[in-house]
Amino acid sequence: MPVDVVMPQMGESIFEGTITKWFKKPGDRIQRDEPLFEISTDKVDAEIPSPSAGVLKEIKVAEGKTVPVQTVVAVIEEASAAVAASAPVASVPAASSAAKEPAASPGPPPTAAKSTSSPAIPAMPTRIAPPSSPVSQAGSTEPAEESGDFANGHKIRSSPLVRRLAKENNIDLATLAGTGAGGRISKNDIMAAIQSASARPKPTPPDAPRPITSPPSTAPGSAGAVFHATLENAVPRERMYFGSYNASPMSVMRQRIAEHMVASKHVSPHVYSIDEADMTRIARIRERTKSEFEAKHGTKLTFMPFFIRACVEGLRSFPTVNASVDGTTVVLHREINVGMAVALDWGLIVPVIKNAEEKNFLGLARSVNDLAERARNKKLRPDEVQEGTFSITNPGVYGGLMGLPVINQPNVAILGIGSIEKRPVVVEDAIAIRSMVYLTLSYDHRVVDGAVAHQFMSKVKSLLESWTEEIL
Amino acid sequence: MTTATSKTHITALTRQQHLDLYYYMRLNRELEGQMERLFRQNKIVGGLYSSLGQEAISVGTSYALGPDDWIAPMIRNIGALLVRGFKPRDILTQHMARYTSPTRGKDGTSHFGDLQVRHVVSPISMLGDLIPVMAGVAMGGRYLGQKIVAMTWIGDGGTSTGAFHEGLNLAAVQKAALVLIVENNQWAYSTPVERQVPIRDLADRAKAYGIKASIVDGNDVVAVILASREAVDLARAGMGPVLIEAKTMRMRGHAQHDGAEYIPKELIEAWKARDPLDRHEKFLTQNKLWTSETKNEIDGRIAREISADVEFAENSPFPPPEFAEEGVYCEGCHNIEPQWKRPKEELMPPRSSVIPAWPKSDSRAVVERPPGSKATHIESKNGSDAPQNKIAAKRSGPSPAKRKKVR
Amino acid sequence: MAETTYLEAIRQALFEEMDRDPAVLLMGEDVSVYGGAFKVSAGLLERFGWERVIDTPISETAIVGAAVGMGFTGLRPVAELQFIDFIACCFNQVTNFVAKSHYLWGAPVPIVLRGPCGGGVHGGPFHSANPEMYFVHTPGLKVVCPATPYDAKGLLKSAIRDNNPVLFLEHKFLYRRIKEELPEAEYTVPIGKAVVKREGRDLTILSYAAMLHNSLEAAAQLEKEGISTEVIDLRTLLPLDRETILKSLARTNKLLVVHEDTRTGGIAAEIAAIVTESAFEDLDGPIRRVTSLDTPVPYAPTLENYFLPNTEKIVAAARDLALY
Repeated sequence: MPVDVVMPQMGESIFEGTITKWFKKPGDRIQRDEPLFEISTDKVDAEIPSPSAGVLKEIKVAEGKTVPVQTVVAVIEEASAAVAASAPVASVPAASSAAKEPAASPGPPPTAAKSTSSPAIPAMPTRIAPPSSPVSQAGSTEPAEESGDFANGHKIRSSPLVRRLAKENNIDLATLAGTGAGGRISKNDIMAAIQSASARPKPTPPDAPRPITSPPSTAPGSAGAVFHATLENAVPRERMYFGSYNASPMSVMRQRIAEHMVASKHVSPHVYSIDEADMTRIARIRERTKSEFEAKHGTKLTFMPFFIRACVEGLRSFPTVNASVDGTTVVLHREINVGMAVALDWGLIVPVIKNAEEKNFLGLARSVNDLAERARNKKLRPDEVQEGTFSITNPGVYGGLMGLPVINQPNVAILGIGSIEKRPVVVEDAIAIRSMVYLTLSYDHRVVDGAVAHQFMSKVKSLLESWTEEIL
Repeated sequence: MTTATSKTHITALTRQQHLDLYYYMRLNRELEGQMERLFRQNKIVGGLYSSLGQEAISVGTSYALGPDDWIAPMIRNIGALLVRGFKPRDILTQHMARYTSPTRGKDGTSHFGDLQVRHVVSPISMLGDLIPVMAGVAMGGRYLGQKIVAMTWIGDGGTSTGAFHEGLNLAAVQKAALVLIVENNQWAYSTPVERQVPIRDLADRAKAYGIKASIVDGNDVVAVILASREAVDLARAGMGPVLIEAKTMRMRGHAQHDGAEYIPKELIEAWKARDPLDRHEKFLTQNKLWTSETKNEIDGRIAREISADVEFAENSPFPPPEFAEEGVYCEGCHNIEPQWKRPKEELMPPRSSVIPAWPKSDSRAVVERPPGSKATHIESKNGSDAPQNKIAAKRSGPSPAKRKKVR
Repeated sequence: MAETTYLEAIRQALFEEMDRDPAVLLMGEDVSVYGGAFKVSAGLLERFGWERVIDTPISETAIVGAAVGMGFTGLRPVAELQFIDFIACCFNQVTNFVAKSHYLWGAPVPIVLRGPCGGGVHGGPFHSANPEMYFVHTPGLKVVCPATPYDAKGLLKSAIRDNNPVLFLEHKFLYRRIKEELPEAEYTVPIGKAVVKREGRDLTILSYAAMLHNSLEAAAQLEKEGISTEVIDLRTLLPLDRETILKSLARTNKLLVVHEDTRTGGIAAEIAAIVTESAFEDLDGPIRRVTSLDTPVPYAPTLENYFLPNTEKIVAAARDLALY
């Protein structure tokens, strides 16, 4: 019995994917869950496991082609009667050449890999309810009911009026549910969306693993419209094309990163608070315990969990830094989900440690390493790259004293960690050689004021400098 | 056929008028000849219709009218347009679709008019429709107190249309001052008149409308004008419409594109001998109404006029394309003012008030024959021709042999 | 003024215009002594006399042609067609003489062609016509279809005063059924302007003539269901008042056109084309229409009722559209 293999939907607002590699060819045998093909999407690249065991009968979409989600890309002649789920698990063997342990001075740098001085951060997705649970769907998934059918803009039923109003108000129709006949988005729906919370999506796939978080019942302010970044040039293009050059189009991820950067800078007034922390104590702890730690827990001990731990405490004390801004509404997140930027050969990604406030040091260490590893191997799940509330980036790994990072929307702050270097500093009126690190907090001055930012930084700094927590 | 005697022919018009008739007919013919040449040079496109051999009708009939009278010429009545004061350039620019034409290029051929000065109503291409319209013109003129006559023409073919019947019937019932010239040129396109109508003389139709009619030699311009004058006078006096059947022959095809091979050659030859221009020239010469000098002068004048007007037309621009959008509606471009020639109070209450009942004289319910008329049907004893009375008469009346036969 | 029927309003307009301007006269079949088949011209003969109230033979071509000729002399004749169905007999005169004279050779034809149209009176296929679209399709004419006594009077006056030929369609079903109080003072209603008869938010119904009243009835019913319906009386079909239509659409974003005319080629089709061309992005739903069937008008009441639109059909269509 033939089984359709479809392009999975890797995120709520993702509506297409590009096949980057087929691992099998027609006629090959394939096991259930064995990696069958690799895709690239706006948000994440992923290795897609086969939905069923059998023989690959036909490849319908070739490498390099981009198709809408739910498109049948291949057909498997099923070996067993069991119909498998088409869970699009993000698991891709990565050709990652990211230097895991770049040369650094005193201590080994955190495994958060490459980044540029102004770290590019991939667009954080809005809420997705991933169809990831294995029991959800049959092998040949049908297109979801209308409200979930965001195949592309054209499949969403609305009307000329609705489309115009959506365009004028920068609302993505894919994020609206329709109450019109047959589930179409009607005038009432778009008018409501314009007036109320901006483009808050209401996902209704059959097996949403996450509950829908509605806007706070204390609706203090009004919604903001979504800014749509368009990539423009600052100079006429003739001024770029001169001499000998090689022009190549951006990958989808790079484009999304570019758009996100433009949007973030456009929307959030960036202010920077710079401090330096004495990492000597932590460096010594780490030096002392890292072998034992690794042997005992099976995971490397890097600097990153220390920083995350300190930030979590800081965010506990200063919840404004753990927020989002919706127009004139301030959304204070109760969870502390820390995103850490991971540089990839082909771009940037920010996996998120969810509920970092509930993890102990070991938990954090494990998460850091696991996410970084899987990021480089293209094995991240969609839910692991979203719903961050605060971000950390570590450009110092590649040198440089400090960076001024771009806020990863919809966070209101990002901590940039410079390189950890030995520097002469004044300690009790004498010069000492300490392992110092510059910390830069980029923050959104719409909600975070300088006083708060600096106090936050002071707390982080003091925690780092006087580390007491048992880590083993 | 009514033919005028030579004497009447000569004296009925002044010398100048005789010369005018020649002038207009010659102008008509030369102009149409020129248009034929222009057509073959592709400067006139669309259709071109010739009134060759029929000039006497167009010129003679319209010449009988007064300046306040109205005409509605048909396709072969260019002569009438010239008599009414249009110039060769008007006709040329019309055919050549120039912006300087009377319709500014909106329509071609003789589809133009002038309500204000020359009182000319443009035809439409459908035949017969001018008749009810001109009946209306006559009725309107009378309503306004004007003593006008409305004149229009129709071909033998056109008399077959419903519009002919409806228009003439209405004009007759209303006693409208309409003079209708039926130009029987024997051919409606390729259809000979014998196929067109079941009667020999179209003038006979007048009887059905209770109107006067005359038959005239359409190639004798003086006969035509005399018959027309009589008709116009009758109509103007309130006698109702008058029909003139002018017998003639179409000397060309229906239009330029029609070679008219279906017309027997002998017929053409016979009618060539009766050419109206030749005849009038002979008439003028024989009666010493002109000399060859006069003729040459007139001919020269005509040639110059046509030549100048051809040049004018050829140098005229075409209408600008956007002009096509203008003129669908009259929104303030015309100030419509009827020419009242009677006190308006006559038509307003209280003077206009009447008893709203049919006058006795209008009633035809009583079957009383006008005195002196002959019975044409069986008469029963009690004077009524109801069928039951006929039967009653049969039973009780005189023997069948004594009754008059139904004809 | 007391309550005036639609028919009486028309007669008043004729009276007033003939009083005002001696150039105005009436001609048609049975209009003088008889006062017209529907008695529209009753009393006119008595007041204005034989010259101004003219009985014609049964010759629509001659009636219209003579009106044209009178128009050329500067008069303003009103030509009555006993049933507007008979305009088919003079189609040539109307489309070729009446409509084209001004455009082609600058001769205005300031006439009014009026007659009773419409069905619902058991008139059968030759006495129930709604022929407006043949003439909406004829440039040079104006086509007017009043629905109320006020509009009938005001529009007929405007039609008589207009320098252009106006086809004035009087819906016979409305003749004696619709009454309203008319102003004492003189007034006219402009040709070419629609009017909003009832304001609403959820959808707009465009209609005219008899169906206007059904549309208003439907709107009242829909109100009870919570659907707020705007109802516009087109009044003039040619030239059509696009501005009023588009302005309403910009607010309600949904259009339903209701006409008694048959479906194919009715004014709804033209309106749908205009709206889609000019205001596509104001549409929150398809343009719907409620019309008669594409058949001749049948005679039996069961057939004719099925053929015609009615309030229920309008309510159903409007409801569907509102909920779309």
